[in-house]
Amino acid sequence: MDTVTESIGANSSTRTPTLDLHEIQATVLRPRPAPYVGTHVLIRVDEPQAGRELLRRLTPHIDSAAGWWTAANAWLSVAISYSGLSALGVPPESLRSFPVAFREGMAARAEQLRDGGVNHPTNWEAPFGTGQVHIGVSAFSDSAEKMRRVLDNARAQYEALPGVKVVLIEPFGAQPGDLNPLGYKDGIDQPAIEGSGLEPLPGQGRPIKAGEFILGYPGEAGVPLPMPQPDILGRNGTYVGVRKYQSRVGAFNRFLRAHGSTEEERELIAAKLVGRWRSGAPLTLAPNADDPALGADPQRNNDFDYSNDPRGHEAPFGCHLRRMNPRDTKLFRLTDVNQHRLIRRGTTFGAPYDPNALSEEDDHVPRGAFFLFMSAKAMATIEFLQEEWINDGDFIGVGHERDPIIGLQDDGAIFTIPRKPARRHLVGIETFNVLRGGEYMFIPSLSALKWLADLKG
Amino acid sequence: MATQTPNKPKQDPSVEKVVNQLREAFADAPQMAKTGLENALPELIAQAAEAQASKTQTAGRIGIRQGTVSELTVIAPFAPGGAKRLRTVLRLLNGNFSGGKKVGTLHDMRFVFLDNDTKFLFATAYDGEWDPYIDDFATKIPDEMDVIFSSFEGWPGIRSPAVKDWIVRHQIPAEGWYVAHPDLTVTEIQRMKSVDKAVEELLDKVG
Repeated sequence: MDTVTESIGANSSTRTPTLDLHEIQATVLRPRPAPYVGTHVLIRVDEPQAGRELLRRLTPHIDSAAGWWTAANAWLSVAISYSGLSALGVPPESLRSFPVAFREGMAARAEQLRDGGVNHPTNWEAPFGTGQVHIGVSAFSDSAEKMRRVLDNARAQYEALPGVKVVLIEPFGAQPGDLNPLGYKDGIDQPAIEGSGLEPLPGQGRPIKAGEFILGYPGEAGVPLPMPQPDILGRNGTYVGVRKYQSRVGAFNRFLRAHGSTEEERELIAAKLVGRWRSGAPLTLAPNADDPALGADPQRNNDFDYSNDPRGHEAPFGCHLRRMNPRDTKLFRLTDVNQHRLIRRGTTFGAPYDPNALSEEDDHVPRGAFFLFMSAKAMATIEFLQEEWINDGDFIGVGHERDPIIGLQDDGAIFTIPRKPARRHLVGIETFNVLRGGEYMFIPSLSALKWLADLKG
Repeated sequence: MATQTPNKPKQDPSVEKVVNQLREAFADAPQMAKTGLENALPELIAQAAEAQASKTQTAGRIGIRQGTVSELTVIAPFAPGGAKRLRTVLRLLNGNFSGGKKVGTLHDMRFVFLDNDTKFLFATAYDGEWDPYIDDFATKIPDEMDVIFSSFEGWPGIRSPAVKDWIVRHQIPAEGWYVAHPDLTVTEIQRMKSVDKAVEELLDKVG
């Protein structure tokens, strides 16, 4: 195995790769193709030998972050839950070296994640939270045809192994215009990672130490984060929090109509909730009207801070964008905003956004997103975000208001739009995205996958 | 007043049980305590009912929370020379560690030297939970944290992954704790103060 490249701390650019790219799974560092199609396959391991054989067969097909751009077919990634590691026969002393939250699993962490009410694990879809999701295989591609080929190949592998069982197959794919289920362009703002080999985009901020995202490298505090043992299992791996959301498009549209009497008013409210217009154009750069050219331009659509908007008159303090990355907003709690970033891979499923969907039935039409949130401390970060930045507002001075897009709302919840001469309260914001399931998983390096496949017993 | 019982809760069996428990616990108490207990019983029962309704929660891994406010009490032995170092720092600051304002969630902090400078008590009331913010302390105020807490035996350093365990190991949850405004965070208090100031200014102009 290659060793960690030297002088990581001294290099502050993203462009020169200082990470072991051949070891790291492509999905961690490389943006998915756009547009994209894909499938998540969740597998239960009933016999350790069969599970390890599956990993042995899959591993040669898994792309690393080094070879991604040459991938001719779809690209595969593999993640394993704690119960999965256990089912594969990972030794107890190694299992114990994983963080507590990972060992307990996402369902057991409902209290820390503020996953109550409709989002509570007792309301989840099977097999999430049942301990049966052991291995997750995700295939991404830019064409349905390539996708089918890769999936057929993968199916041949697992169907020939009676000791492993597929518990869920979830297809996903880009919506027209690459919009999310509530009708916005999404996934624009990603953290820049030191040594990732990717050209940073304007507005991404200073590159964040690789150790925050990949195990085995120094993090923001200058030391590597705790790593599962043995070394070969942990190094170049990372964690992912998978969360499946159902979008209540009817409720969202009803809310817009209740507060905006014209199309223009409704679209302004929709932009105020997110902090961007539907095209992706940020309110900070386009305060009065959508600017699709700006929204589509990656060199400009994230190139801003809030220094000219200290009162939130353009992007409200409580909007989704400002919560998820406050940038230079003055926060009321001592916070290092670079400590709470995640690599996000949103994958949408189901029907596209329909601006005329207004009924309760529309809320149940299958459509939503599987969010993949990745970092070397994904559990701690997701729990921090859920507690502090999503389901509370004190940190940014909006009291107990919650994130208007992914927050869990109480009856009569409020969203505040600061403006002159007096703020506007939008009353009756609902839970627009309902959690349907989730898992904490580990994304091993390619060497770690081989190590797992070679376990005995 | 004695005949007025507007909100008298229904006499449920648990109240009787509590009264019996109290009387039993006070069986060997001095007479003044027994008399005091009998006189205070109605008030104690009413408060107990109120406390049941407001429900005290736990703060993170350990400690009590009332509403949004949490308590943290740590008792730890001093490292050699630690008491002298800490006293010097605190005297320099006149005992008032106003740097705590930076953290934004701290209602108060108390530093008490115990047992002839061999042990130390740190007590604070703060909003939310400290656990999620430990990484922020490690990058934003690592020096302040280490200057104070390296006075104690075994402090691993704020950047160490072992730091949470050190705190939890020395933390003693309070058995009882009263908070006047459990619904107000430090941020909310600041906001209300500025609203009040603005209102007073407006009234001055009107008057």
